[in-house]
Amino acid sequence: MAYFMGIDIGSGTSKGVVTRDGEVLAYHLLPSGANYRAAAEKLRAELLAKAKLSSQDIAYTVATGQGSASVPYSDGQVTDIRCCARGISKIFPSARTVIDVQAQSSQVIRLGERGQVVNFVVSEKCAAGSGRFLEVIANVLQVELEDIGPLSLKSKRPVAFTTGCAVFGESEAISRVAEGNAKEDILAGVHQALADKISTLVERVGLEKDCTISGGGALDIGLVRSIEEKLSLKLLVPPQPQLVTALGAAIMAEEMAA
Amino acid sequence: MKSAGSLYFAGVDLGSTMTKVVIIDGDGVIRARVETHTGAEHRRLANRVMEQALKQAELPFEEITYVIATGYGRINVPFADRQITELTCHARGVTSLFPSARTALDIGGQDAKGLKIKDGKLTNFVMNDKCAAGTGRFLEVIAKTLGLKLEELGDISLKSQNRVNISNTCTIFAQQEVISRLSEGVPVEDIVAGLHEAIASRAVGMLRRLGIEGDVVFTGGVAKNKGVVRAVQENLGHQVLVPDDPLISGALGAALLGKEIAFKSLEKGEPLPKKERRLAEATFYK
Repeated sequence: MAYFMGIDIGSGTSKGVVTRDGEVLAYHLLPSGANYRAAAEKLRAELLAKAKLSSQDIAYTVATGQGSASVPYSDGQVTDIRCCARGISKIFPSARTVIDVQAQSSQVIRLGERGQVVNFVVSEKCAAGSGRFLEVIANVLQVELEDIGPLSLKSKRPVAFTTGCAVFGESEAISRVAEGNAKEDILAGVHQALADKISTLVERVGLEKDCTISGGGALDIGLVRSIEEKLSLKLLVPPQPQLVTALGAAIMAEEMAA
Repeated sequence: MKSAGSLYFAGVDLGSTMTKVVIIDGDGVIRARVETHTGAEHRRLANRVMEQALKQAELPFEEITYVIATGYGRINVPFADRQITELTCHARGVTSLFPSARTALDIGGQDAKGLKIKDGKLTNFVMNDKCAAGTGRFLEVIAKTLGLKLEELGDISLKSQNRVNISNTCTIFAQQEVISRLSEGVPVEDIVAGLHEAIASRAVGMLRRLGIEGDVVFTGGVAKNKGVVRAVQENLGHQVLVPDDPLISGALGAALLGKEIAFKSLEKGEPLPKKERRLAEATFYK
């Protein structure tokens, strides 16, 4: 019996999946921290414990993500674009566009009919297009990351951000707090600013339905709604959006071992 | 009628980070200059800084013939007779400080500008106010991360033997990069020198888009940083001119433009287009 492992070392979170015949046996997530190698080792130990396997049982491991080179036990590395595409096609075979919102970058991928990558565009130069912008503002507002989405949905009058820069956005958020604006209105404003940035990425690759969202940003219901509003469509959201790329890596591992 | 020497003109430059006031007399001699941090409450602050400048010049407010406000917060100066953009005021101020200047670089707290100047007038400009990278804010954020004072950065960077290359443009990502370099044991001076190089190469790239001509003047708060001045010179391949007080060129230019407007009216015998103004405290917070 052959088992496969997909390891996605992201800038914020490390994710791992163990599969057999394309089905998920175990998964685990942990913060990447400053030492990707240590995170990768710990991730494997947790995954093997959860799947009740030893390292010899794993036939092939694919590493992906920002820290993919720091996975000492990997048999191969694949870009996170390809892994994300593979993972989302497994979950939603009808997906043609994927919006992947990560801690430090956002990317939009266009898929062909067989789930292959047709085109993609990455925004990684600027924090304003990524989950990091939300993190910065949540810190100013002293709101926990997981509370951002539900809180923002209560907003009646979203505050418009005049800047596209996360650093200037931080100052702007402080000014808006001083003027007495509600937290939910400020958060809803950040969601709109992010949705604006992301929609320009979508325009650049060309939108085709079905459109899906993955990555940690997809856990934020407020952001999902803002993007849906901006693009005037309904997004398909996988049940565990952070694991999509790791799942894709595990599927690639099965293919590469064959 | 009063003699020109006993007329006074004020320029108020309400920047995003610093507020500057300059008072000159009719001969263009500086009678007062005040610089202070801009708080959240522009209008109240403008009033306070003006009062400090008047005290320094030993003048009552009524003696000031004309007041020009400039800078990002110029509409929040309730006692100004007129507003003029900071680009025009900078060009005027820079020319009075360095008549030979044809190109000016101004890096302030939240923006960076390149100016082309001909015969004392602005002919073209480029500006970045969209992104904190390349502005004083970049240095401010990183100084805080390093636990250093902004004014210490210049001297520290001059000690560097082995400058680090900062690969991220975004301030937030660069902040993380700096933390990583620190944890690797890279000396602080090498990191700071790398940051200065990052800001200088962006600034010079901006100037090149504009076209560099003649003498280059470097102003704004960031021009106080010797490390950035050196890095800008290295990138340009020649010297830059830095005023003794790099912060006041905008306020000085505003005061000089005020003087010129007033003298033109006086020559024609027309009344000055003054606003009804009062030096009272104004605030938008209850």
